[in-house]
Amino acid sequence: MRRTSEDNVWLNVDWVVLLIYFLLVSLGISNIYSAGYDTEQQGLFDFSAEHGKQIMWIGVSLFLGMIIFFLDFAFIRKYAFWFYGFTLVMLLAVLFMPAVNGAHSWFGFGSFKIQPSEFAKVGVSLALARFIGDVGKSQFEGRRKGVVNMGVANLWGLIPLIKKNIEIVLIIGIPCILVLLQPDAGTFIIFTSFILVLYREGYTGNFLLFVLIAVVIAVITLLVADSSFIMPFLKIKLSGKTGIVISLMILSLIFYLLIRNFVLKRNRGPLYRALIGSLVIAVVFVNCIEWGYENILQEHQKTRIDLLLGKIDDPDGDGYNINRAKSAIGSGGFLGKGFQQATLANANQGHVPMQSTDFIFCTWSEERGFIGSAGFVILFTILLLRIVIIAERQRSEFTRVFAYCVGCIFFYHFMINVGMAIGLAPVIGIPLPFFSYGGSSVMAFSIFLFLLLKFDAERKVVLQ
Amino acid sequence: MRTNENRKYIIALLFVMVSLIFIVRLFYMQIIDDKWKDRAAEISENKIVTYPARGIVYDRNKEKLIANEVYYDIYVKPKNVKDVDSFALAKLLDITIEDYTEKMNAARSYSRHKKSEFVKLIPPNEFALIAPELHKYPGFFEIPRTLRVYPQATAAHVLGYMNEVNPSDIEKNPYYKPGDFIGRIGIERSYEEVLRGKRGVKYYLQDALGRPTGVYEEGKYDTLAVQGKNITLSIDAELQAYGEELMSNKMGSIVAIEPSSGEILCMVTAPNYDPNLLVGRRLGKNYSKLQEDTVQLPLLNRSYGVSYSPGSAFKILQALIGLQEGVVTPNASFSCHKDLVGCHNHPTAMSISDGVKFSCNPYFYYLTRRIIQQGKTRSVFKDAAQGMEIWEKYVKSFGFGVGLETDLPGVGRGFIPSREYYDKVYPPGSWAFSTIYSIAIGQGEVNANMLEVANFAATLANRGYYYTPHFIKDIEDVGIPEKYTTKNYTMVDTPHFKYVIDGMWRVVHEPGGTARRARLDSIAVCGKTGTVENFVLRDGVKIQLIDHSMFMAFAPKDDPQIAIAVFIENSGFGGTWAAPTASLMIEKYLTGAVTDTVKENRILNAEFLEKVEAHYEKD
Repeated sequence: MRRTSEDNVWLNVDWVVLLIYFLLVSLGISNIYSAGYDTEQQGLFDFSAEHGKQIMWIGVSLFLGMIIFFLDFAFIRKYAFWFYGFTLVMLLAVLFMPAVNGAHSWFGFGSFKIQPSEFAKVGVSLALARFIGDVGKSQFEGRRKGVVNMGVANLWGLIPLIKKNIEIVLIIGIPCILVLLQPDAGTFIIFTSFILVLYREGYTGNFLLFVLIAVVIAVITLLVADSSFIMPFLKIKLSGKTGIVISLMILSLIFYLLIRNFVLKRNRGPLYRALIGSLVIAVVFVNCIEWGYENILQEHQKTRIDLLLGKIDDPDGDGYNINRAKSAIGSGGFLGKGFQQATLANANQGHVPMQSTDFIFCTWSEERGFIGSAGFVILFTILLLRIVIIAERQRSEFTRVFAYCVGCIFFYHFMINVGMAIGLAPVIGIPLPFFSYGGSSVMAFSIFLFLLLKFDAERKVVLQ
Repeated sequence: MRTNENRKYIIALLFVMVSLIFIVRLFYMQIIDDKWKDRAAEISENKIVTYPARGIVYDRNKEKLIANEVYYDIYVKPKNVKDVDSFALAKLLDITIEDYTEKMNAARSYSRHKKSEFVKLIPPNEFALIAPELHKYPGFFEIPRTLRVYPQATAAHVLGYMNEVNPSDIEKNPYYKPGDFIGRIGIERSYEEVLRGKRGVKYYLQDALGRPTGVYEEGKYDTLAVQGKNITLSIDAELQAYGEELMSNKMGSIVAIEPSSGEILCMVTAPNYDPNLLVGRRLGKNYSKLQEDTVQLPLLNRSYGVSYSPGSAFKILQALIGLQEGVVTPNASFSCHKDLVGCHNHPTAMSISDGVKFSCNPYFYYLTRRIIQQGKTRSVFKDAAQGMEIWEKYVKSFGFGVGLETDLPGVGRGFIPSREYYDKVYPPGSWAFSTIYSIAIGQGEVNANMLEVANFAATLANRGYYYTPHFIKDIEDVGIPEKYTTKNYTMVDTPHFKYVIDGMWRVVHEPGGTARRARLDSIAVCGKTGTVENFVLRDGVKIQLIDHSMFMAFAPKDDPQIAIAVFIENSGFGGTWAAPTASLMIEKYLTGAVTDTVKENRILNAEFLEKVEAHYEKD
C-alpha cells in the first residue's frame, strides 16, 4: 500500500500551486477579454480575438502538462542537456530570422509566432539543475572552497571562482550572449536571475551585499554621468564620474585608517588586499557603467533609464508609456473602475501601449483597483513562497535547483513587469507570467510549472 | 552547509520585501495620491464646448445694428510641424520672423502635443488669402471664432464694445473662462447675459489619438448650449446716423425719445467714433488712441456723462410748479425788471404763455420767488427752507437729479439742490430766495444731463407723466422689463400743462419767439431754447466763453411722437444752433426727409471745435 501511494503521482501533486496556476490563468483570460472589450462583443471562444488565442494556448499548455506527467522523471533528467542543446540551436537559428521591431527574436509560422528565448529559460534551468545535481555534494564543496570567505570584493578571488566553475558560467553565459545578439535585453536580464539560484547553492557569500552596493554605485553613476560640478575651494571643474572616483578613494582612505588603527597587524594583510581590490573593481565598474550607458545602450533604453531616475520628465513624449501606465493604475482607486470599464488600459482606447502583453497589469489594476492589484501581488507572492517551500523539501539536488530556477525566474518577471508598470523599474518588455497575452510565454511558464509539479510529485521515490 | 540552508530565508525575505514595496507603492498610487486620477481624466476625457452665437441687435426698423462675423485664430501643434519655411509663413501671417521664432519657442515650451495660439483674430478678408496656403504648413491650423461687427457704424456709445475677459471678470463670474469675450460697455454690457446665451459642454471619452470613443458617464455632466437671444432696440438707425452727421465738428449731444413709450429714438454724442474701430486686433491700439484724446474726449457719452445748466428750459418747470402750487394764475404778469436779473428786449409778458415765449428772466424770477417764498412763515429764511423742500419734490418728480434707470451702464444724473444742500453751503437759516435766485432760470446749482432734459420734453408732451427712457424694445421670447412700461406721474396735474405748451408753440411759431429757426411748415413744434452761460475761472478771474446752445422740443403739438433735447457746446445762442438742429431731427423722423436744405447745410457746415487729427486703425 505504501508503495502505491508513493507511486501515485496525482496524489502527490502540490494542489496549492496548481490551484494558483488555474486561478492566475483564468483571471488572465478575463482580464484580456475585458481589455479587448468593444460593443461588437465576440464570444469567449472567438479564436481570432486575443483572449480566444490565449485560451487556445492555455489548452496547448495543459496538453503539454499532461505529456510531462506521463514522462518518467529519470527520462527528463537524462535528456536535460539535450533539451538545453535544442534550445541553444533554436536561439542560434532565430538570429537568421527576419527582424521584427528590430530584433531577431521570433520564428514565424503563419500568424503564430514562437519566441525561443522563452523556452531557453527552461533549457538553462534543466541544464543547470542537472549539472549541479550531478556534481554532487563532495565535489561541489571543492568548487566552492576558498571562495566563500574571501568575498567577491577580492579581485584575485574571482578568477579561481570562475575557473573552478567554468561549466556553470558557460551554461548560463552562452544563451546570454545569444539573446543579446537578437538583441533582447529583457531576456538577458531574466537570465541574471540564475545568480540568485547560485547564491542559494552556496556560491558568493557576500553576493547580495555586493549587488546592493553595485546598484547604489550604478544609480549614482548614471545620475551624475553627464553632469559636472565645481570643486569647492579649488574652482576646478570636474566631471561627475571623476567626482565619484574621488569619493571612492576618500572612502578607501578612511577604511585604510580604520584598519591601521583598529586591526591587529597580522590580520591587516588580507584586508588591505581586499580594500585595494574593492577600490579597483569599483572604479572599473563605474567606468563600465558609464561606458555601457553611453555606448552599448540604445537611445530609447537610455531614455527609459533617465525617465526612471527622474533625470527627464516628458509625460506626453518619451515618458508616454510609463505615464499612461501609471495613470491607468493610479486612477483605479480602491475598488477599481469595474469589469470592462477601463478607460486607459483598454485595447479600444489605446492610451496604454501593449496593454495586453507587457502592460497587462495596468488593465487589471485600473479595473480592479487596489483590492485587485494588491490581491494579485499577494497571490503571486504566495506562489513564489510555495515554490521555495517545494524546493526546500526535495531530497534531490536536481529538483531543488530546478525549483529555485522556476522561483527566481518567476520572481524576476514579476518584479520587473509590475515594477515597470508602477514606475519602480525601467521599461523592459517582458511578460507577466500567466497574465500577459502571448503563446510562447504562456507555454514556457506552464512547462516550468508542470515540470516542477511533476518532479515534486515524485520527491518520495527519488533518492537523489 | 548550515549557512547555505539559511539562505532560503534570505531569498524568501527578498520575495516578501519586493511584494511589500509593491503593495505600499500601489496603495500610495491608487488610494492616497489623487494626481493619477486627474492625469487619467486629462488623458482619457475631453469635452466639446459649443459656443452659441451671440444675439443680433436690431434697431426699431429691424436694421442690424450689431451682427456677428467669423474671425480666425491660427493655432500650432509643434509636434506636427515639419519642414516649415518660416520666412514664408511669417510673411503669410503678416508677422516678423522674430515674432515667429518667439511664438514658436513659446508653443514648444508649453507643449509639443497640445495646440498653442499662434496668431489671433484674423479678419475674414485676410484669412481668405491665408486659407489656401495654410495646408502647406503642417502643424498649423485655424479655429474660427465670431466677433462683433457694426453694419451701420453708428451709435458707438450706445452699443458699446466687447473685449476679452480679465481676471477680475472671471473672479466675479466663474462662467467666464480665459479667452472669452464679454460686453464691456453700452448695450453689449447691459444685455450681456441675454445676448450671450449659455455655452454647452459635452464630455466624452477619447482614445490615444483623441478620437471620441464614448460618452462620459452617460452624459451626466453634459449641458446644452442655450442660444443667445436677439434683441431689438428702440434706436432709429437712420435718425441716429443723421444726428451724428449734423453734430460732426461739434461738441454736444442729441437725445430723442418717443413720449408715448419712453423709447429712446437716438442718442447722439459728439465727437464720436466708428464702433468698428473697437473690434478684433485693432481694439487695443484704437482704444488707447481714443483714450489719449483728452481734448475732445471721444469716449465720453455727453448725453448722460456730463451735466450742464439747463438754462431757460428750466423756466417751463417753474411755471408748472407755480400753477400747481396756486401761487400764480395762467394770466400772471410780471414786469421785465432788468435790475434784478439781466434780460433782452421784449414786450411785457402778460401771461405764463408770454413768459415762456419771451423767456423773460425777471418774469421767472418773480414766479419762482412765489414758489420758494410762499409766506407761510414769518421768517423769510424759514419760509425759503420750506419752499425749497416743496420745490425740490416737484422737480424730482420730473426725473431730474434722481438717476433715470435707463438700460445703459453708468447713466449719470444731474443735480437738483435741496434745503439740506443749502444748509450745508450757507449757515442754516441764513439763506433765502434772494441768495439762490439763479435756480429760477436754470442756472446756478441746477444741473441736468441731456437725457433728463429730453425726458422732461417727453413729460411735457405727455402732459404730466413719463416712461423711464430706455433702449430695449424687445427681447426675443421675453419682451421688456415692467419698469419700462409703467407711467411715472409728476406732481403737476395735466390741466396746467396747456399754458406752458401754448407758450412753447409760440416760441417756435410766433414772431418774437426765441426759436423761430425751429419752425417747420407742416409740423407744430413746441420748444424752448436755453442759452447757458459758459465761463471759466482763470487766476480767480471770471472769463466769459461762448455760450452753450440748448434746445428742447416735442412735436407734433397735439399728437407728440418725438421729444428731443439738443445741446451744442460753445456755439452761442440756443435759438441759433440747437433749435434748427432739433427741427431737422424732428422733420427727418416724422417725414423721413428734410425739405429745408439751406438750414441743413448751415448746420452741417458749422464747426465749433478745433479739429484734432487722429489716425485710427482700420481693416
